[in-house]
Amino acid sequence: MGILFLLVPLICLFILNLPRRGAAAKLAPWVLGVVAVLQMVFAATSHLACWEPFIGFFTLPVPVALVVDPITAVLLFTIALVVAVVTVVGIQGDARDKVITSSLVLTVMAGMNGVVMVRDLFTLYIFLEITALSCFVLIATRKELRSLSAAFRYFILSGLASLAMVLASALVFMQVGSLDFALVAAAINGQDPATMTGLILFVVAFCIKAGAVPFHGWLPEAYSSSSSAISVLLAGATTKVAGVYAIIRLSSEVFAGIPGPAQAFMALGALSIIVGAFAAMGQKEMKRMLAFSSISQLGYIVLAAGLAGAAADVTVSLGGLQTSIAMLAIIGAVVHFVNHALFKSLLFVNAAAVEEQCGTTQLDQLGGLTDRMPVTGWTSVIGFLSTAGLPPFSGFWSKLLIVIALVLANQWVYAVIAILMSLVTLGYFLILQRKVFFGELRKGFEELKEARGALVGTSLILAGLTTALGLLFPFVLLLLQGFGLV
Amino acid sequence: MSDSILILPILLPLVGSLLVFVTPSQNRILRSAFALLFSGAALVTTIITFGKQLSFSTASWAGFGMDFQLKLDGLSGFIMVVAGFTFLALLYSVAFMQGRERERQFFGFVLLGSAFVTGSMLANNLVLMLFFWEGLLAVLFALIMSGGAKATPTATKALVISVTADFCLILGVGVVFWQSGSLNMSVINLPLDNFWNGFAYVMMMIGAVARAGAMPFHTWIPDAAVDAPLPFMAFLPAALDKLAGIYLLARLNLQLFQMLPGSGLSLTVMTLGCCTIIFAVLMALIQKDYKRLLSYHAISQVGYMILGIGTALPIGIVGGLFHMVNHALYKSCLFYSAGAVERQAGTTDLSQLGGLGRKMPVTFICFLLAAAAISGVPPLNGFFSKELVFDAALQINVVFYIVAALGAFFTMASFLKLAHVAWFGKMTQVAQKAKEAPWPMLVPLVVLAFFCVLFGVYNPLPLHGLVEPTLGSALTHSFAGLPHNWLVAGISVAVLLLAVANHYYGVKRSGSALGSSDHIHYAPVLKPVLAAAEAGKTDPYNLAGAVMDVFALVLATIDKAIDWFYMKLVTGIAAALGRGLENAHTEKPWHYVLWVLVGGVAVTVLFFVGIGG
Repeated sequence: MGILFLLVPLICLFILNLPRRGAAAKLAPWVLGVVAVLQMVFAATSHLACWEPFIGFFTLPVPVALVVDPITAVLLFTIALVVAVVTVVGIQGDARDKVITSSLVLTVMAGMNGVVMVRDLFTLYIFLEITALSCFVLIATRKELRSLSAAFRYFILSGLASLAMVLASALVFMQVGSLDFALVAAAINGQDPATMTGLILFVVAFCIKAGAVPFHGWLPEAYSSSSSAISVLLAGATTKVAGVYAIIRLSSEVFAGIPGPAQAFMALGALSIIVGAFAAMGQKEMKRMLAFSSISQLGYIVLAAGLAGAAADVTVSLGGLQTSIAMLAIIGAVVHFVNHALFKSLLFVNAAAVEEQCGTTQLDQLGGLTDRMPVTGWTSVIGFLSTAGLPPFSGFWSKLLIVIALVLANQWVYAVIAILMSLVTLGYFLILQRKVFFGELRKGFEELKEARGALVGTSLILAGLTTALGLLFPFVLLLLQGFGLV
Repeated sequence: MSDSILILPILLPLVGSLLVFVTPSQNRILRSAFALLFSGAALVTTIITFGKQLSFSTASWAGFGMDFQLKLDGLSGFIMVVAGFTFLALLYSVAFMQGRERERQFFGFVLLGSAFVTGSMLANNLVLMLFFWEGLLAVLFALIMSGGAKATPTATKALVISVTADFCLILGVGVVFWQSGSLNMSVINLPLDNFWNGFAYVMMMIGAVARAGAMPFHTWIPDAAVDAPLPFMAFLPAALDKLAGIYLLARLNLQLFQMLPGSGLSLTVMTLGCCTIIFAVLMALIQKDYKRLLSYHAISQVGYMILGIGTALPIGIVGGLFHMVNHALYKSCLFYSAGAVERQAGTTDLSQLGGLGRKMPVTFICFLLAAAAISGVPPLNGFFSKELVFDAALQINVVFYIVAALGAFFTMASFLKLAHVAWFGKMTQVAQKAKEAPWPMLVPLVVLAFFCVLFGVYNPLPLHGLVEPTLGSALTHSFAGLPHNWLVAGISVAVLLLAVANHYYGVKRSGSALGSSDHIHYAPVLKPVLAAAEAGKTDPYNLAGAVMDVFALVLATIDKAIDWFYMKLVTGIAAALGRGLENAHTEKPWHYVLWVLVGGVAVTVLFFVGIGG
């Protein structure tokens, strides 16, 4: 049934472009909404037997394997959730912009769905390129110099990544004779120079896609210069799926047991955590700070993914549960992935609200907004507490899982970095909160009103989800166990 | 008669106090009526129950052996004295407190204090005793505070000193419970043969003598004499504090611990008593204020009680307890006379007083009797109780006796000075306007003076009825009647005569009655010592305050350093790092491409060199 997740967005893209432009612009949000909801339903029910009869019908003569396993299902659901948020936040601009942007969002969605479902390196490359190309244009749709130059930098670095990936694929194919995940994993040993070069190029490529330090140059401006809805899409889903998900999958399945990639991913992950956090502290603009916060948070996921590769076969007993460190790390990474999509979307939605109401997101021009925008102000508090990993919010549990896995694997240096940088996270978000939402209301904002209902509603729902996921985390774990994970 | 009547002496003042607190503040008559009615009723119940052996306990109170047990025996018979003094204090205050601010507060807390002291003397469980004992702290604080805003530092000082001592008491109770396994006071009887029992005794003894006002826990009393309303001095430091503290000391020596005469602990307690006698009386001698002079005597006289009970001899314990009752009588009487002077003449500064005797004859006669009693002039009550203490001290060691006799000399000297300056002599401008005090103030004075005479002339009444039953079987023969040791009595009288001679010498030497003690005040060695003491330089409260200041300074410095570390160093580094990283993001594409290349090299290195683990 995996092909459904590709066909639905593409068919809808086709439908959207049939009517005249004015009608299509009105239709666009509804199309996006329907696709998002449909994908959420399909993803949530993908493990059920009721889909069995249709699988034969949808199996087209395509020479690619599309697999929906539990992790993929979770990610498909998250992608749909972020697209739903994008729909509610709303795409700005005239009718032409709306249709083009909506079409691109559908393309990106199809690309992301492909990335999470494929099981061979070359198809992965194709879907990554679909996603990336759509993103360049999405960033550039704002038609400001800042957005255009950001798109250009993304294009340059992404080009380097593509180059590296094609080269790496070729090198691995020469050695193994196949690019299928399972076959590569079985044959690869990382000893001969050609394979080694291939692996290094893969690591570089995926780190550029993910935006890990020091390959992150394109990321801050890409996030902060694009329009609100696109910021949410990029920060919440696209770059995470394109880069971070690929790192999780490859590190834990394909390169598992080879020390090189695991060491590199862990070190770069830790570096991203540190640099992202401290750079966020030095920011003067809200969306740019959130972008650096994203770098810091994706560092946690990359670190956990690296650990999963390094400690693939070590089993541990945790609270009466027999599991492996690798499994703990993967669960930590995936849950943090979902959590990050929730709270970073929430914070970007709030940033959009501030931008719409105040006309700026410069920290030193804002202040005391909670007086006039209570929902935005207080949901931000929930968002950053969850980011910093404070109980009872969901961010606490995923970070806890990652730290537990690190400690069990005796990776004390990384465990200490993970914990200490949570404090720095709290630090820069306190700066943000104090400068933007708390304190005295800044002069000139006396007439300020709360943001429009769609934004406020989205904020509330996301904050509620973050809190609920944190409070009900034991049930979430049970659910994951039901999926066959843990 | 049911044993539950024991609850009444505690409950009646408590109810009275609550009623006083809810009476409208303008309604003086109703408030006074409540106060006198309930304290009178409490007095009646204590008289009814006097001499009986009663005990009352509820099934279970707080658990862990903390039961609500009350017991009336010989020693707790002193609750009758407590009730009596409460009634007199309230009667006196009806006139004295008239028109003063915080009058209602004063009445309410006097009744409450009476309930607490009675409770602590009736309690047969150490925790229950502590409950009432600590309750009195609140009363102490509130009563001093009723002297107005200027009394706040004094009230704080009294509270801090008392809390420190009571902390020792609680510690002692804890050790007693650990050592004996019981909190029931009639069961506990610990031998003083190991360290922990001795420690427990010392801790509880500190709590007891501090309540009584012994050195070095006395320094708040002279301050309170100036700042608090005068009936407070007659009520707590002169009467109820002594009763409670000495009661507990006697309880310790007679029942809770097996105290042996001549043992190290006994000598320690006696030394403490002697120090209190001599230093406090020297301070009293040099005072130039009626109330402060009396307050130092309230400290000095405690020394005799501690000395007597500390001997652990039957004669000493009887003497100490008898002196406690006597002291409450004459010291209250003296404080009431001071109150009358303050109210009628408007000052208690001795340099402004003189010749009051002719203007206030009833007060004058009462003062004279009480002053003679405290100085130990035969045949008044103070003479007989002091003789018993002298006798006991002499039996242990002659040094204690000499110090005690020296104390009697200075006591006599200071009261000669006080009487001469304030009551005899030339009538001053202030005294011209003075009139005799109103009757509610005179009644307590007369009653107390009468008892001073009665307990002296017919001393078998208090000794047989009140004091000697406390000893039970330990009493071999009665100490009533004339002194048994004629030598000691003779020396005492000689000491008094010497004091009179000294007074004449002093008056002649300085040329005025007020300067009659100057030759002692300004004696070579004493002068700097007394000056330092008068300036508060030897006050442990001030010394502790100085130590605390240093401590606070050290802590503040450490705190500042920690503050600097977090507020300046850590945040400074973080901010610098943040700025530096932000500046590194130049947004130039070729820079970022360069980063990617550097990153590629780094990844290659990381493939071969692991970090951590």
